[in-house]
Amino acid sequence: MKKIILFIGIASILIFSLEGFAQQKPSFKPALREELVYGFSVFDGKSYSGGFIPETEDTIYLIAKHNNTLSAKKTLVYFWAITGKYMAGFKSLNEEVEGTLEVLKDGKVIKELTKEDNVLSFPEGYFGEKSLFYKGEEALEEFDKYKKTVENYYNEIKKYYEAQTEYRKKLNEFFEQIKKRREAGEEGALNIEVPKEPQPPKTPSFYVTEPKKDFILNLSVGKYQIRLRAKDETIVEGSEKNIMVFTSRRTGGIGYEITPGNRWTKKESCNDPAMIIYAAGENILYFRPYSQDEYNELYYNKLIDPQNEGREDNWKWVHTSPIKNVSLLFFGQNKVLEKIDKKPFYVKQISGPELGYNIIEYNEKDFPYQKPTFEGYQLNLSSQLKKTGYQIYMQKKDENTPLSKSERGIRLVRKENSQFLYYLSFLPLMVGAIVFIRKKIRAKA
Amino acid sequence: MAKKKFSLTAHSIKVLIKKELVGSLYGWGFYGAIFVSLIICSFILKNFIGGIREENILISSYPLNFPLFVSVIVVSLYLVIISAISISREREQGTLEVLFYGPVSSFSFTIGKYFKDIFLYLITLIFFAVYFFGVSSLTNLGFTYSLTKALALSIFWVSCVISFGLFISSLTGRVRNSIIWLIAILLAFLAIQFVHSIFLNFPEEALSSPLVYLRKTLYYISKGISWVSPFSYISRGMESIQIESMKLYLLNIAYCIVYSVIFLVLSVYILKLKGVRG
Repeated sequence: MKKIILFIGIASILIFSLEGFAQQKPSFKPALREELVYGFSVFDGKSYSGGFIPETEDTIYLIAKHNNTLSAKKTLVYFWAITGKYMAGFKSLNEEVEGTLEVLKDGKVIKELTKEDNVLSFPEGYFGEKSLFYKGEEALEEFDKYKKTVENYYNEIKKYYEAQTEYRKKLNEFFEQIKKRREAGEEGALNIEVPKEPQPPKTPSFYVTEPKKDFILNLSVGKYQIRLRAKDETIVEGSEKNIMVFTSRRTGGIGYEITPGNRWTKKESCNDPAMIIYAAGENILYFRPYSQDEYNELYYNKLIDPQNEGREDNWKWVHTSPIKNVSLLFFGQNKVLEKIDKKPFYVKQISGPELGYNIIEYNEKDFPYQKPTFEGYQLNLSSQLKKTGYQIYMQKKDENTPLSKSERGIRLVRKENSQFLYYLSFLPLMVGAIVFIRKKIRAKA
Repeated sequence: MAKKKFSLTAHSIKVLIKKELVGSLYGWGFYGAIFVSLIICSFILKNFIGGIREENILISSYPLNFPLFVSVIVVSLYLVIISAISISREREQGTLEVLFYGPVSSFSFTIGKYFKDIFLYLITLIFFAVYFFGVSSLTNLGFTYSLTKALALSIFWVSCVISFGLFISSLTGRVRNSIIWLIAILLAFLAIQFVHSIFLNFPEEALSSPLVYLRKTLYYISKGISWVSPFSYISRGMESIQIESMKLYLLNIAYCIVYSVIFLVLSVYILKLKGVRG
């Protein structure tokens, strides 16, 4: 009885203490501290990425021979435990630190940079993947061009609204005129000119960021150091950083994003030219080709966000832009089996208890007011195909030569034969036995 | 005189190779090592094929290259052990002394041992080629050009392994010591590279100052090991095939030749220095 009471007592204490722990609300007010950080906008292989470099990171990673911007700022930094990263409170404090940025190599100052005007231009619009960097006079000109285009657009819009008002007025007059003449007993065609509806102006297709002044770094591959020299010729505390400038190991490659028909949400990558696509049964694959460059994993991850992690001995392919105006050729048994063009597809959920989906070729007629789910090159690996090796490659629509580095192998595997693999391993033992028997026979002879 | 000396050396090398090669081919160890390597290959490949589900795809780069890499490692281990014990065994049994009374010099002896192992590997290569061709025909995994390149490059990797084994053997006087030294050195290489690899998974900021220094030290030691350990040449060669760089491929062959020559010269020199009785 005593033991039971003791057990219940200990258990209750444990339960209450655990509850106490659980009820303790974390006093989650991160400690803010003022520090000097570098804001950056760096070329990431396809466009420009921005962020900041906290004091804890002593190395900045940049891609060689591209313009990148840095700006020293005083801000409030705090550690955000959920992501395990330092965050900057630029809204609370965002103070530009003035001075000259010195770039050093092997301890010698090789460049002294002052702040320059720069803008980013997005030729395919704000949400477009492509961005171009302009500096100095060119940056201001580019922004002026954008400003003028936007001003013109607003003028056009103004004119459009005026034209719309005029159009509505004319339309009312038109209907009134018809009504009057019909009431007057006129029949047949009335020959009244129908007012034309004005068309809205096209929105500017490109976007340019507002000019800002930053230090612009364009360096060749190597290790450098930077530091900020204040106007009083002293080095600004905390401004010293290492710069690792790197480049791609392999460039101009073609990679594929593959959407298997039976699980379209789980895409596969076939980026490395050494990669082979193995399939066992019937399958429909949707290919999306990209231009790509290969970078060191650690350097690239640190380039995107200096607080990222990665391994220095790993490499990763970075898709730079989608490849357009090409056809996909399916090659096998010494001939082109199929020439496939890019098509839009729509993923239609199957209603009811089956819970599945169908991927259907998209057209506006069948799917009004809907947008295609994705676009791609559809390759049907049917069960009729001989289980052997095939190839795919891209070809420019107006040319007959395959795009370099676009070849990939597709192999239809004979799974059923895999059980015989172990028998093959016995080959050396069989040969050994033959040699051994021959030796014995010879010895006897 | 020089011509006569050369022909005598060449003849003694030839006789040594023949004698040793026949001895190895009549033993079960050689076939057993290849069998073990191929059984491991079959296990890996069966799992790989099992991973390709019906109505699904699996994207992989040269699935036959990894099993080949494993087989080369297994056979290399066998060859490095027999190389490591070859000189010390002869020394321990006293046959080295007898041989050196004849026309056999430390040079012809080492070269004879080296080429015997190279020929053994060339025979192994035939087994590998037949096996992988069989695998490819059965399953359609593909006997690719890259596999042919890997098979050719493996001769140079194995050359590094054999010369390293002979070097260890020349250093030691007893068979037991040769094996212990070899295993200890290889395990040390492996352990350093393994620990360094674990450290690479942690960002520098997450490590305390002593660990950062340890990581840096291990980095430099690993760099050194990557040039001394014969097995590093295998992984480096595999990478050159993976990224399809002919320049790196040829450079790898050149590295392997330089490595082999250095270790063979060192073996001859040490054998001369230590003498037949060690």
